Amino acid sequence: MKKMLKKTMAGVMIAALAAGSLAGCGGSSKDSGGAGGQGGSGNAGGESAGPISGQTLQVMISEEPGEGDALGSALNKWAEESGNEIKQIIISHDDMLSKFPSMAKNNDLPDLVATTRLHQLYPEEFVDMSTVLDLSLFNDSALKIVGKSYSSDAITGIPDQYTTTCMFYNQDAFTAAGIEAPTVDKPWTWDELYENAKTLQEKGGVKYGFAADVSRARYDILMYANGGSLVQQDGDSFKVAVNSPENIQTLERFVQANNEVMPKAIWAGGTTDNPVEYFKNGDAAILLSGSWNYNTFTNEISKFAFGVMPTPKGSAGQSAIIGGEALAIPVNGKNPELAKQFLTWLYEKEHYTEFLQIRKEPSVMNDITYTPDTDKAKEDFEIIQNEANYVTDTFMVDESSSWRTYKDNEYRDAIKRAVAGELPAKDALDGFAKALAESSKWGTAY
Amino acid sequence: MKRKKQAFCHDRSFWMFVIPSLLLFGVFFLLPLGMSVWFSFTNYDGWKTMDFVGIKNYLDILTSGDFYKTLSRTIVYTVCNLPFKIAIPLLLAALVTSQSLKGTTIVRTLVYIPVLFSALVAGITINWMFGQEYGLVNFLLQKAGINPLQWSLNPVLATVVISVASNWISAGYYMLLYVGGINNISKELYEAASVDGAKKAQAFFQITLPLLMPTTFIVLLLSTVNLLKEYALVQGISLGGPGSSTTYIVQYIFDQGFNQSRYGYASAAGIVISILFIVIAVVQFKATKGGGEV
Repeated sequence: MKKMLKKTMAGVMIAALAAGSLAGCGGSSKDSGGAGGQGGSGNAGGESAGPISGQTLQVMISEEPGEGDALGSALNKWAEESGNEIKQIIISHDDMLSKFPSMAKNNDLPDLVATTRLHQLYPEEFVDMSTVLDLSLFNDSALKIVGKSYSSDAITGIPDQYTTTCMFYNQDAFTAAGIEAPTVDKPWTWDELYENAKTLQEKGGVKYGFAADVSRARYDILMYANGGSLVQQDGDSFKVAVNSPENIQTLERFVQANNEVMPKAIWAGGTTDNPVEYFKNGDAAILLSGSWNYNTFTNEISKFAFGVMPTPKGSAGQSAIIGGEALAIPVNGKNPELAKQFLTWLYEKEHYTEFLQIRKEPSVMNDITYTPDTDKAKEDFEIIQNEANYVTDTFMVDESSSWRTYKDNEYRDAIKRAVAGELPAKDALDGFAKALAESSKWGTAY
Repeated sequence: MKRKKQAFCHDRSFWMFVIPSLLLFGVFFLLPLGMSVWFSFTNYDGWKTMDFVGIKNYLDILTSGDFYKTLSRTIVYTVCNLPFKIAIPLLLAALVTSQSLKGTTIVRTLVYIPVLFSALVAGITINWMFGQEYGLVNFLLQKAGINPLQWSLNPVLATVVISVASNWISAGYYMLLYVGGINNISKELYEAASVDGAKKAQAFFQITLPLLMPTTFIVLLLSTVNLLKEYALVQGISLGGPGSSTTYIVQYIFDQGFNQSRYGYASAAGIVISILFIVIAVVQFKATKGGGEV
């Protein structure tokens, strides 16, 4: 009997140990003030009795503020002017997806969230921004792409960052390899980029000719450039088209590029290395990333000259993806009124202009623009702004489908498995197409 | 029946000692286990959706190719590592209990220190050392004129790095178990063997090893369960890559639950795996007769 009891207990313990593997993880929190926050009304109305002071605004951001941190600077300036304090909760964008529901369940939501997706995935959890700010002051496409809910027309986040995919290049490496950078009038094709990347590896003094962020949003510009898309419009619904012949061909070419001119370990998923660091260290000659890096590169790259080049052409033309980050106010946060007060302050002309000059990015407001302070920066900024013209209709259809509501990181993982050589490109995309179709209940086009 | 009753007949002091542990065990082990069982029959997404779906999650698991692939990979990883998990601590224990070795305290301390590290911290440290581009090991190899190794690209090398790290971080703990076992063996047995002309190696294989069977059983059981549950170390070193070549079963469950918001499916996978772990433990127990018999 005793033996039996022991065995049963041992069994239960092992089971509990295995089941206990589903445990949550904590985020880091950084308090720049001393006082604790006080309860707010939770009312989503735009009018408040008067400026609030002596309270703490809890803000969830995705990364530790660094040099040239526009949002951090704005928050601190507002806190100083209004007599409030700021408490930053730092959680990466990916982790926010799992942490936010836990925080909501525990009634522990911050007052303001800087997010790329939460407000679009869970619009009912966020304040409708039309009740906070005059939305006619904002760029319409920025509102639609960055601020709008996936399931309705409600603007649940106000864009604070409006970015585009863009290509950076190492001017010194180009000079050493005898390669002239492409121009807006004379862009390269993707095949030319791969060929030049080879030459850069051979003669440019760099280890890798080309590197790209591990993000499906970066990879997708290759797909759109070759005429592919994730879904196709099917009446009022959609069909999954991610495994189209064009897309398979694009992925096969990308796998080949990884084997020849790219740091393969990054896209194969065996390392946590960041390709942006490879570029900053001078190890990669061309970087496919986003316009948000321009500010960082200006501040941090000193050992070589860098520039911005237009996106290469695929079989269907050039393509770019626009996106960004929005500031959203959780309805059930402790102090939504305080968050509204900050947003109203931030989007006043004087404050937003200052914010934009630090961020060095395209504006989300109609009458305010970023003015680069040097000729070189002006040239680069023109190329970055021009990228928005390459946004394809197929991208807009994909966005309108809100496919990321159903599956998201799984797409990037499928590409990783193809790059790692674990699956042929076709199998990787077929597998993801099947998963997306099952989850979304859409049909498949291929 | 009477005996059963007696099992619960204890005085107040007994329960005062036991209740805190029972509470902790209940809150942190039994409650999550019960919740996992319930979730496994639902389509719980971690927040808003939780409908009863019967055994759908279990059927999905049993027909999922990825689940079987990951499980097979985990079992291969466990089986390949088990001999090292036993042999290395055993040899270290034999070494530090040997009369002929000086400075055994320092050696024991050095071997034990990694046990104190968090698995994630150890993983990240190993990741820095074996990083393909900027890692210490490849830097030293290049300095020595050797081509850098593709730790992050070659599935076998990535698995080797994880295995080395796993053994490094656990060897000290199992070594201590063996040291306790060796110290419990009567010295008279060795003296008698010596009188009979047995050499040291013979004494080790004929006396030490057989008498350490109960300890070996414990080490075997603990290492098996720990290897099957390997998670934090892998997250620190390879994040399950390249591709999914170092994604083991707990990573798979974590990914399904937390990244894909399929808490119901992940809970069902956790239950299936728990049952499998119990079966493995029982088989080990039976096969080794609990380590009680030689």
